[in-house]
Amino acid sequence: MSDKLVKVIIDDKEYMLPQGANLVDAAKWSADTDIPVFCYHPKMAPVGMCRMCVVEQGMIEKDRATGEVVMENGQPKIRWMPKLQTACTQLVSDGMVVRTNTPKVLAGRESVIEFLLTSHPLDCPICDKGGECPLQNLTMAHGKGVSRMDFSDKMHLDKHVPLGDLIYLDEERCIQCARCIRFQDEVVGDDVLAFHERGRRLQIITKSDPGFDTYFSGNTTDICPVGALTTADFRFGARPWELTEVPSIDPHDAAGSNISLSTRLDRDFGGRAMIKRVMPRQNEFVNEIWISDKARFVHHFTRSDERLQSPQIRRGGAMRPTVWNEALPDVANALKAAEGDVAVLAGPGASNEDLWELKQLAKALGSERLGAWTTHAGAALAAQVGVGKGTNLGKLGKGDAVLVIASDLEEEVPMWFLRIKQAQDRGAYLVVANHRETRLAELARETERKVSTQTERKAIRGADVRYAAGGAVEWMRHIDAHAPEIAQKLREAANLVIVVGSEGLTLEGSAALTQAAANFLIESGHVGKPQNGLLPVLPGANGMGLHYMGYTVENTLSIVQNPPKVLIVAQCEPLNDDPTAAEWLSKVETLITMNLFPDRTIEHAAYALPIQSFAERDGTFTNGERRVQRFYTAQGPMGDSLALWDAAARLRERITGTRAKLSAAAVMLEISNNVPAFDGMRYKELAKVERQFPDVGGTDQYYGGTAYQNKGGLGLQIPSEADQGTVAVGAVNEAALSAGDGLLLIPTTRLYDRSTIVRQSAVIASRVAAPFVGLNPATAEKLNVADGDAVTVSFAGGHVTVTAHVSDAYAPDAAFLPRYLTAEPTPMLPTSAQIERATSVVAAL
Amino acid sequence: MTETKRILLRYRDVNADFTDIEEYGAHDGWVGLKKALSMTPAQVIDEVKASGLRGRGGAGFPTGVKWSFIPVNEPVKYLVLNADESETGTFKDRLIMEKNPYQFLEGCLIAAYAIGAKTAYIYLRGEYLEVANLLDACIEEMRKRNLVGKDILGSGYDIEIYTHLGAGAYICGEETALLNSLEGKLGQPRVRPPFPANKGGGLYSEPTVVNNVETIANVPWILQHGGAAYKAIGTEQSAGTKLYCVSGHVKRPGVYELPFSATFGDLLNEICGGPLDEAHPFKALLPSGGSGPIVHLNDEVMNTPMSYEHTAKLGTIIGSASLIVMDDRTDITWVASKVTKFFKHESCGKCTPCREGTYWLDKVLDRIMAGEGTEKDVVLIENVAKNMAGITLCALGEFAANPIIHTIKHFPEDFKKHVSGKKAVSKPLPMAGD
Amino acid sequence: MAIIGNPKYADRIALHLSKYPDKRSAVMPLLYIAQEEYGWVNDDAVNEVAQIIEIDPTQVRSIAGFYTMYSEKPKGKYWLQVCTDLACALRGADEFHHELLHELHIEEGGTTEDGMFTAEHVMCLGACDRAPMLQCNFHMVEKPGGLTMDDMRLFIEKARSGDADLQALIAEWRNLVNEHLKTFE
Ligand SMILES: Cc1cc2nc3c(=O)[nH]c(=O)nc-3n(C[C@H](O)[C@H](O)[C@H](O)COP(=O)(O)O)c2cc1C
Ligand code: SF4
Ligand code: FES
Repeated sequence: MSDKLVKVIIDDKEYMLPQGANLVDAAKWSADTDIPVFCYHPKMAPVGMCRMCVVEQGMIEKDRATGEVVMENGQPKIRWMPKLQTACTQLVSDGMVVRTNTPKVLAGRESVIEFLLTSHPLDCPICDKGGECPLQNLTMAHGKGVSRMDFSDKMHLDKHVPLGDLIYLDEERCIQCARCIRFQDEVVGDDVLAFHERGRRLQIITKSDPGFDTYFSGNTTDICPVGALTTADFRFGARPWELTEVPSIDPHDAAGSNISLSTRLDRDFGGRAMIKRVMPRQNEFVNEIWISDKARFVHHFTRSDERLQSPQIRRGGAMRPTVWNEALPDVANALKAAEGDVAVLAGPGASNEDLWELKQLAKALGSERLGAWTTHAGAALAAQVGVGKGTNLGKLGKGDAVLVIASDLEEEVPMWFLRIKQAQDRGAYLVVANHRETRLAELARETERKVSTQTERKAIRGADVRYAAGGAVEWMRHIDAHAPEIAQKLREAANLVIVVGSEGLTLEGSAALTQAAANFLIESGHVGKPQNGLLPVLPGANGMGLHYMGYTVENTLSIVQNPPKVLIVAQCEPLNDDPTAAEWLSKVETLITMNLFPDRTIEHAAYALPIQSFAERDGTFTNGERRVQRFYTAQGPMGDSLALWDAAARLRERITGTRAKLSAAAVMLEISNNVPAFDGMRYKELAKVERQFPDVGGTDQYYGGTAYQNKGGLGLQIPSEADQGTVAVGAVNEAALSAGDGLLLIPTTRLYDRSTIVRQSAVIASRVAAPFVGLNPATAEKLNVADGDAVTVSFAGGHVTVTAHVSDAYAPDAAFLPRYLTAEPTPMLPTSAQIERATSVVAAL
Repeated sequence: MTETKRILLRYRDVNADFTDIEEYGAHDGWVGLKKALSMTPAQVIDEVKASGLRGRGGAGFPTGVKWSFIPVNEPVKYLVLNADESETGTFKDRLIMEKNPYQFLEGCLIAAYAIGAKTAYIYLRGEYLEVANLLDACIEEMRKRNLVGKDILGSGYDIEIYTHLGAGAYICGEETALLNSLEGKLGQPRVRPPFPANKGGGLYSEPTVVNNVETIANVPWILQHGGAAYKAIGTEQSAGTKLYCVSGHVKRPGVYELPFSATFGDLLNEICGGPLDEAHPFKALLPSGGSGPIVHLNDEVMNTPMSYEHTAKLGTIIGSASLIVMDDRTDITWVASKVTKFFKHESCGKCTPCREGTYWLDKVLDRIMAGEGTEKDVVLIENVAKNMAGITLCALGEFAANPIIHTIKHFPEDFKKHVSGKKAVSKPLPMAGD
Repeated sequence: MAIIGNPKYADRIALHLSKYPDKRSAVMPLLYIAQEEYGWVNDDAVNEVAQIIEIDPTQVRSIAGFYTMYSEKPKGKYWLQVCTDLACALRGADEFHHELLHELHIEEGGTTEDGMFTAEHVMCLGACDRAPMLQCNFHMVEKPGGLTMDDMRLFIEKARSGDADLQALIAEWRNLVNEHLKTFE
């Protein structure tokens, strides 16, 4: 598509439309003309299969020699095509003439609908899609109303075919549009769906092992224009018209995908508002119209019976439930008694408002020891040279480059994986550097790949770089020595984004890596403008918020080394994350936890205060691209839990007498008045939306999924320091990572794990990998361990018994141990370890 | 009347075994190729243009013009030979490949040279396994004589020819479905543009010419004798000779080569010996397999030349010239049902009207054949067929609509018989699994 | 057995892989080889082909399902496919097909108890002037004037009497029934 506008006549009116644009999209966007479609989807290449979008099409005739328009009876002469044409396969060109509502067109559409319905069961009353079904809508709009096909003539097929653990297929309802197949092939790049048989017997199948099991499978249920694909989670859960859509933000990672929580007042939840499903909400800057299956299926934790439902006070050695009115004065007194020797450790799941109020509480107590509980120390640099304001990863393409270093992006931030994979499809140069194999590296390695449903062959360039275990800083810093050609290509790219992870790095290490990446970007001039800069793979949804609210890893390190008398642990679970935490936490006199669950940390706590999940309250997160986005109250609260900000404010009220604020909006007002980065970010501003291309939500009749419509706001992006002025390179602290006496143990991330939150969703829990440790064959040999052996991995603070995976995928001289796969905590940051063959088999979880 | 001026079935005239490369060489073999290699590719294309040769795969598109669409400057181009031949009543390409394989392969070399392709694929329907084996053996013989491979005949031109077997899908005769199939994908047609000749539209997205076997088998003769000599045969708009496949109710079914100027009467009465059973005169003719419009086999038809332009005047097409002849014992409703079963079975399923329409038509026709249909059903299928025509992705949908529309138009009484309450006798079998 | 690493197929697999610039194109020839090995396209066949050309097994299964010459069910040793398409039916192919099923005591698409024969009818095989005719394991069984049930009994008897390989069987059978074939044309 070019920027050149050309003249097109649609239904006798003239428009100037971008040359090369898809006719259906352009007609809708600029001419307010809805051309109905079934198979076409603006996020995928057209295939012209369903024939619903037929139009009459012609060309204004021009004289070959002179280029002049040929006139006939004072009007330009139009050469009409003899047959109806599919609009979805037409690209806008100069002089195009289209008629979308002539009797011939209407008859064509009517017959396509009639054909589709001949083998459709019309079981709308029991169909999950009923009420938001493009087929239903378009039948109302364009159909005949009566069927001439005898019901007994219809085909009867299987209505409950599991395509994997998460998605079910109703073969009768499928209209063979291939949207799901094309999504998996083109968008995800994992073609695990296909048609089987042919003609009327054409059906969707998967024969992959294990089934239809990608991290994005749920999106197919949104784009399916009928109720053929449903999720195991929501099937028969509710009717769309009973649902209220509440805008929210995916709380699991730094992408900040915009989601919509479909809720209704539900008997299963004491008549309170309850989330029935999670759907994507369109935000072209953030997640377009996709979400990961984690965002979609891991909402059950919000209603888990295991949730902490009332404040707890330790009395006589045991934790006992109490009420807030009793707990608040007690906790306030404990805080005051510290006489300023107080610190806060907050996790990246806490909202900006939570962090602000906690900070005010600490300040009131005379403390500024605010620790960020995270595994990545790059947030401060991301504030300087993070991706430029206005960045849209969807705009990266030919001539641009992306470097992903020290991250397994598909597992850590699936949405970024998806968008970067597509940037590569559009022609961007992708370099993936890590000490082990990842899915993204696989894609970068393929020099040429074909998108099978499209005719066009896509030359895909990329590089898969391997460095020694934990060697990211060294590689990045000396990229010119290690990979001069790659360095050159990155430097010369029109736009460059460096995605910086922290795998294999200590906090000092990730700070150093981020600095090295920042220096490269600054020196090559790839900062301070859209589609350029640093993208930090911070864990959790609000890693950047921690930074802007003043929570640092330096403070965390000091808290661990020199614990305070009283420590507030807010929305983080040190004892679940860190096997050595018991040791340093034992030095804290009074531990106060503010968490969703009575996790292990509670064992050391004097007080445990129940807080609310993202679904039960209002708030904002700042994503990895520094976009501040609102989420709204969707679900009734669990027990007596309070929003974290609210609990903190009430504690402060007890201590200082200042009135607690009454709403999250009021907190944000205060933030916007006090934190320069948040200048102007009031709730009203954050809730603003504008029309987005492509137009898929709202009154849309055919792209499906009413929830797409963004009513909650597109959010506002904090400018980086580079956006506002110049930034200077900094010194890289190449603090050597000492592995001590043992082997280097490198924690890795899995999207689905046994963390407290993920564990609560049955559909996902069944798909978590069995615990394992990854070893290079050479390393395994040294350890006298074979693939499949049970091994005991010992580290400071504990040990676990897991299965050894021996493979070239891993760098030698290290052990790669995924976090949260075992019942016992494993290290969150690299450390040294010992590995021995275990005598006993791995205990099943 | 007898066959005269044979080009493709020359071996019948000289009574020689053309599957022997020596014998083929002794009978003007490779003369056209050598001539072509001494010319520029553009000159070869001009010669073929001058011959008036039109595609024998059905659509009759001028072959030289098609070749000239290939962009000269693209580095990679392909030639693909369509030997999918799956239309009911069609068996001519098989005969060429079985009896005169070297002439066909020589044509391939000339065509590839003309468009600058260094690789040619012959896509054969899967059932032609033995034919493919024969062609493979022939290609090896040619390799021994430097007719295939690097620098053929010292010309500096490199060419490889490979066979590829389909596996039972009529739709793979449609050129874009064929290309998909050759790429290892489902044999479903592609949307056009881009066309196969364009960058992005052909095999592996490279510019590609797809030609029928018979089309290409004419090319050596054209090069040897000149385009003008070829143009002189046949009729004004239909140059040369054509292979006519005759099946059904005639005494001598088979493949016959005649100039386009020959009439249906010449072929059916004189060469094929007239009706199978003298007591049962001809009733109807499908001149182009199951897909072309049916006609009454009357004197007007008998006196008409079997050319593109003359058959068009009859409201039908000559297409691939697969004449299915039916005598007065034939129930045309049964024919409609039989043909519909074929298209239902062969619909690739990609586009809605054909996928659903063929299924629906078949269902209603079954009812009609079972004597349970009504007059409304006849109106219904005619209407359904008309709704399919003109709105499908490829021509198969059109092909499937034709038999219904034209049988009802020309033989309404045959349908009336079935819907007037009397039980019918014949009923086509369903396919296994249907 | 398997086709990967099987010396019986190594050359053919290598040949097919060498024909095309994209390995995926070899999916159809390799499916034929796998079908030859396993008798039908079972999951092992699909997985092996997928492994050789490095595509998802789903895609291979999809191809096997689209094309009718890949059998997704086990078949008899001899897979008889009678053309009953229009041109052949006009010359008695439907009746011939019925008689054949009767002779073999099977239903359409069924397999004889001894596992020797599977019979079914198919669309046009490109031999319309020799109707009725059939294919046996993709080799044409035909003669001018069309097959008769006597021809078929001869064929069935020959097939049942020994374990001659198919090509030899068909050649022998052709000699028996087709003395006049040589005089044709
Ligand atoms: C459904 C369908 C089936 C076809 N089958 C064949 C076929 O079996 N053989 C063939 O040569 N052309 C067939 N064609 C025509 C081809 O698409 C194409 O036009 C032809 O191969 C071009 O070669 P030509 O120009 O030499 O005729 C078919 C077309 C359609 C729409
Ligand atoms: S007309 Fe039939 S064969 Fe052609 S694309 Fe449509 S469904 Fe496939
Ligand atoms: S054919 Fe255009 S939307 Fe389906």
